[in-house]
Amino acid sequence: MKRLVFIILSFFAASIAKAQIAIDTLNTEVLNQLLIEQIERLAEDSDEDIDFEELLENYIFFSENPININSEDVMQLVELRLLSVFQYEELKRYRRYYGDFLFLEELEMVEGFDEQTLAIIRPVVYVGKDQSKDKLTLNKMARYGKHQIVGRYEQILEKQQGYEPYDDSLLLAKPNSRYLGSPQKYQFKYTYNYRNRIRAGFVLKKDAGELFFTDKVSDTIQALLGKNYRKGFDFFGFHLYAKDLGIVKAAVLGDYQLAFGQGLTMWSGLSFGKAGAGSSVMKQGRGIIPKSSASEYGFLRGAAVTLGGGPFRGTVFYSNRWIDANVSVFDTIDNEVAEFVSSLQETGYHRTIGELQDRHAIRQQVIGGHLSYAMNHFEVGYTAHHTWLSAPLQLKPSHYNQFYFQGQKLTNQGIDFKYVKGKYALFGEVAMSMNFDSTALAGVSVGSTTLNRFAGLVALTVKPAGYLNFTLMYRDFGRAYQNLFSNAFGEGSRNQGQRGIYLGVEAAPAPYWHILAYADQFQFTWLTSQAYAPSRGHDYYLRISHSFNRRTHAYLQFRSKTKMKNSTDGFAFTHYPISYTKNAVRFNINYQMGSDFHFCNKAEYAHYHNDDGINEHGYFLCQDVAYKPENKPFSLTFRYAIFDAKDYNARIYTYESDILYSFSVLTLYGKGMRVYLLGKVKLFNALTLYARIGRTIYSDRDQIGSGLTLIDGNHKTDLKVEAIWKL
Amino acid sequence: MKKFLLLFTIILTTSTLFAYDFIHPMGGRAAAMGGSSVASQGLWAMQNNPAGMANLEKISLGLYYENRWLMPETAYKCGAFALPTKFGCLGLSFNQFGSSKYNENKFGLAYAKDFGRYLQIGLQLDYLLLKIGNDYGSFSAVTFELGIQSQVTDKLTLGTYIFNPVNFSFKQTLNHEKIPIVMRFGLAYKFTKDFIGQCEIEKDSEREGVSLRGGLEFEAVRNFFVRAGIQTNPGILSFGLGYAISFAQVNVAAQLHNELGASVQIGMIFSIGK
Repeated sequence: MKRLVFIILSFFAASIAKAQIAIDTLNTEVLNQLLIEQIERLAEDSDEDIDFEELLENYIFFSENPININSEDVMQLVELRLLSVFQYEELKRYRRYYGDFLFLEELEMVEGFDEQTLAIIRPVVYVGKDQSKDKLTLNKMARYGKHQIVGRYEQILEKQQGYEPYDDSLLLAKPNSRYLGSPQKYQFKYTYNYRNRIRAGFVLKKDAGELFFTDKVSDTIQALLGKNYRKGFDFFGFHLYAKDLGIVKAAVLGDYQLAFGQGLTMWSGLSFGKAGAGSSVMKQGRGIIPKSSASEYGFLRGAAVTLGGGPFRGTVFYSNRWIDANVSVFDTIDNEVAEFVSSLQETGYHRTIGELQDRHAIRQQVIGGHLSYAMNHFEVGYTAHHTWLSAPLQLKPSHYNQFYFQGQKLTNQGIDFKYVKGKYALFGEVAMSMNFDSTALAGVSVGSTTLNRFAGLVALTVKPAGYLNFTLMYRDFGRAYQNLFSNAFGEGSRNQGQRGIYLGVEAAPAPYWHILAYADQFQFTWLTSQAYAPSRGHDYYLRISHSFNRRTHAYLQFRSKTKMKNSTDGFAFTHYPISYTKNAVRFNINYQMGSDFHFCNKAEYAHYHNDDGINEHGYFLCQDVAYKPENKPFSLTFRYAIFDAKDYNARIYTYESDILYSFSVLTLYGKGMRVYLLGKVKLFNALTLYARIGRTIYSDRDQIGSGLTLIDGNHKTDLKVEAIWKL
Repeated sequence: MKKFLLLFTIILTTSTLFAYDFIHPMGGRAAAMGGSSVASQGLWAMQNNPAGMANLEKISLGLYYENRWLMPETAYKCGAFALPTKFGCLGLSFNQFGSSKYNENKFGLAYAKDFGRYLQIGLQLDYLLLKIGNDYGSFSAVTFELGIQSQVTDKLTLGTYIFNPVNFSFKQTLNHEKIPIVMRFGLAYKFTKDFIGQCEIEKDSEREGVSLRGGLEFEAVRNFFVRAGIQTNPGILSFGLGYAISFAQVNVAAQLHNELGASVQIGMIFSIGK
């Protein structure tokens, strides 16, 4: 069989090779589109500003450093949601029966690999000999290793309130009324990669408003900041990573991420959560992941190692990081001074006096491990970790945060499993938290039974036919389940005090048609910061996509989400939650003209209403034009958009093309237009430059933003420049 | 009664903002198909999406009259002339809304070029003139409009159009009266040789909400067309007939608005050439 395939393919090899170039550019578009959709959904789901760089790093890394389809790394395609678990199983089966792949085109013969899948994964895989057992030599590492340097500059060109001139008396009276540093953002990154086996690098970053070498601060302010006064790059990170060294499957020193099981016990960093709908709600814990991005929160810093032998894998890790926190001091009865933390800061910004004072205020140490056992179709794992802070966390007492983590020490453990065979995939995780630190927690244990400290989720995916799959998932996170590193499937970012049931369907009912739909119904079993009573909600989603031909793809998407939050009715005597609903409809069409021009149109409508009788509408229309000439070293992307959304509630989230390694999802509300121009030019083989300038012009206001980011004018212009040097 | 209702509606809709009517789908075909026109071709494309006149083969002259709500005071008059050349298609256009007491005029110089099947681009430079009677005077401004069309498959044509993309305004007026930015995009789908469906979305920066439009055209007998369409915001149902021979076309349409009643449209195109 194998030989026959080989002969047939050799025949076609020549013609295939010719067509390859055009196909490849097209495929990256398909991959990008997939990514854009997931990122936009993620942005809609989370209320905070997210640094997507962290999440994207992996995608971009693999599109530049393709995965060998004959190696175990293929599993990472599943985690990146480029392959379904069923496709992965089929792939493994094919390899077992017919041996290693010789041609990429062989993938078409694997069951469940349709044109769409091939289009998506082609840019990130290659066919090669499994080199994971090759000997590492310094000679090879020096010769075949790839070096990369990325330098970036970003700035908002209009002057924001926080950068207005100030004198010391103003800052002494209102310490947080100005940014101390300059409005530029600088980032510098170096990475080394040898065949995805050895990776190393470091990153330096200075955010807008943070103090740089050239910024001047008066002595009074310096004295006020004390040891927290520092200039230069605010963030420094590095990593040293190796994998497949005999029984050492992976090892890292420096900054890293961990991802185990379904993310209930340990999943540092971001995850797509609900954004990756359909059958892809199953997570694939990748274990140790080196972190090269410059995001300043949600990661571990220290060392970790994974050992493996036969069906067993074991990981141990230790992390020791100084994190930002608001520290207060109080006198104890014995006249000793003690510290406690009133909140943990997660923005990573150190621009104002207040932010600088909180910088690296406490030490967070984490120690733990993961042990897994994998049989043919079955895998089970156990995770445990213990966190301790150098000062106890004591939140401002409120009913909603009564079960949040407080104190100094926290232990988490969990068991995860998955079983994938034939048409079925069953997976889940059960976890519990133990907070024995009761000193600072008077009253907290009220209503917190042992059962409330547990959290669990279980799901079943069934694939009755190749073109159809269903997923049913149930989750129940106890209201006292506390975990600083939990990132499982759920509504909102907090895996605590939540129960829900999810049903997702993915279908390809006809050639070139694809349907994705889900319904998620959830209850918050305790109060939340926005709803002062237990509340409920649901989230419905439907997307129908169609390819008219290989150059023209369109989709129509509906989303309706209902949740509850406190009524803003001024005459009410007490806080009570009311329902609010946000509906959004979007039509998107991408088409290509010739091989050089790519066009995209998008129309979006958002509607918000709540039980207080508020009704708001938002509209967005855009035209994208990208000129990407073949065999030319440059490309240009342009967008023209108009938007009209009366208020923040009916805001529109929109993805924008960006410089490499950066990703923007813009939140638009108000009335006006948005334009941007992105250019890329390859100067030499090794050096690529990117520049992007974007401007939002409002027609309904003369001031943009508020507080420190207030701009006196009706436009806001952002500029980004990046240089990438590859060796 | 009708005048009262019209006055009432105008007061209602203009109390918060004032919108100009420089941009209005022109031509009897567009009018019959609910105003959808961004992905259609022909002479009137000059006013609806200039990219659509890129493939015009004959020298053409068109006249169009719309008796809106059956009141001459709110009528549209429009004329267009197109000259296809080797380097693309050139055009001249004029349209007027209103009466002697109040009128909005647009003079346009258009150019469209075909870059193969996948891409047609059109551009029109506009001179806008706003005249208000009783010594209020007249105000003028300059702007432009841009459009593209692409026939992505044998059946599907996509079009996008933007009027006044850089947001010019009437500088002479007291409040620097804004000229709306109007953006449309939509598609035309040829179900069979003689049956076409069109739909589009329009956002006018000075109006609340968006307008959705759709229409169908059926060539019932050779050269004889039956059309119907629908439009939201304002909600209008429309239908019409068309007859086309090699040197002339006549299209008539009627639109029905629930409160304001009927409007009738007639358009004629004469062409010479091969």
